[in-house]
Amino acid sequence: MKCQRCKKLACVALPSHHAGFCKDCYPLFFTRQVETAIRREKMFTHDDRILVALSGGKDSLALMLELKLQGYDVTGLHIDLGIPNSSEGARSKVEKFCDAHDLKLDVFEMEKWGLPIPDVKQYIDRPVCSICGKMKRHHFNRIAREGGYDAVATGHNLDDEVARLFANTLRWDTAYLSDQGPTLPAAEGFVRKVKPLFRLSEFETANYSFLKGIDIHSAPCPYSTGASFTNHKELWGELEFRSPGQKFQFYNGFMQRGKAAFANLEKETGATLHPCDTCGSPTSVGTCSVCRIKASVAVKKAEWLSESEYEAARARA
Amino acid sequence: MITVNLEPDGKVIELRRTRSVLGALNKLKLRSTMAIVVREDELLTADRKLYNGDTIMVRKVTSAG
Ligand code: SF4
Ligand SMILES: [Zn+2]
Ligand SMILES: [Zn+2]
Repeated sequence: MKCQRCKKLACVALPSHHAGFCKDCYPLFFTRQVETAIRREKMFTHDDRILVALSGGKDSLALMLELKLQGYDVTGLHIDLGIPNSSEGARSKVEKFCDAHDLKLDVFEMEKWGLPIPDVKQYIDRPVCSICGKMKRHHFNRIAREGGYDAVATGHNLDDEVARLFANTLRWDTAYLSDQGPTLPAAEGFVRKVKPLFRLSEFETANYSFLKGIDIHSAPCPYSTGASFTNHKELWGELEFRSPGQKFQFYNGFMQRGKAAFANLEKETGATLHPCDTCGSPTSVGTCSVCRIKASVAVKKAEWLSESEYEAARARA
Repeated sequence: MITVNLEPDGKVIELRRTRSVLGALNKLKLRSTMAIVVREDELLTADRKLYNGDTIMVRKVTSAG
């Protein structure tokens, strides 16, 4: 196969674009896709300050590098979750990457804030990932709001977006269906959220990362189950093989023709928001769920510690 | 024979009578946009030939969650 641009030997073939690219032209294709996403979805401009969520995965690092190369004012934010044998690795990867490419980086530590994720797992009787995700979104938004950023950017790619839309469609989860998309405008207490890689598949970001020398080995989180999500991605991989371009059509078609109906539905039932009385983040009740979870872990941990002290004292007696 | 380093599984698989990247992907039950294939630091498209004694890295791109 030949490069569509320069006719040299191609190294990446993209059936959904009926095209192949060589190693010099492929990054240009990638850049064009990101530029189109930013422009069409009105994500941000060169005057905006952008906070980029850096998990340490290839997508977030590729996004950060690409936005910097396009001349945007970007700062990375990594949340150190405090998970043993996992978080240190992710953090040092992000720190090394930002050092090597001269990128601004902030690190927020869940442990210092008083709630490392292992405590959530131990003391809260709910799936740890749903709370962990909530915590991350909360802090990204809070730190962006307090730091006066114009937008929070995440590395979600087309496969992530399609898998999520598909899962929410299978459940007809109207709250989610009314509220997803590549750009979520700023609202009372919420900073604008954008996903500049949403036009690019996981395969496309993997190729970009490889060609840019981004270390794409990433150890999965020890708490990850990810099963249904991965199944959906595999299903979609097969659909995409049979009719290339299907993923983007499904997602884009929903954004153009489906989302508005769900948004109208939610407008009638949606709650009004006020600042949380503890942390100031928007919430429909007095204290936001993040602050309530934190308080509840503190109580349970104290109970557990005093119980084990009591047991220890009894054992000594 | 072709030696495949399958990532992120960390498995090493040997394939016989495989003459192209597409042939290798088929044997691994992968579609061409589900993995990147690298030989000596070079990305390969599915139509590229493989030769006896080649070692390739096949990295699946799907990340969980
Ligand atoms: S897999 Fe790990 S990092 Fe991801 S949401 Fe679950 S606990 Fe958090
Ligand atoms: Zn080219
Ligand atoms: Zn709060």
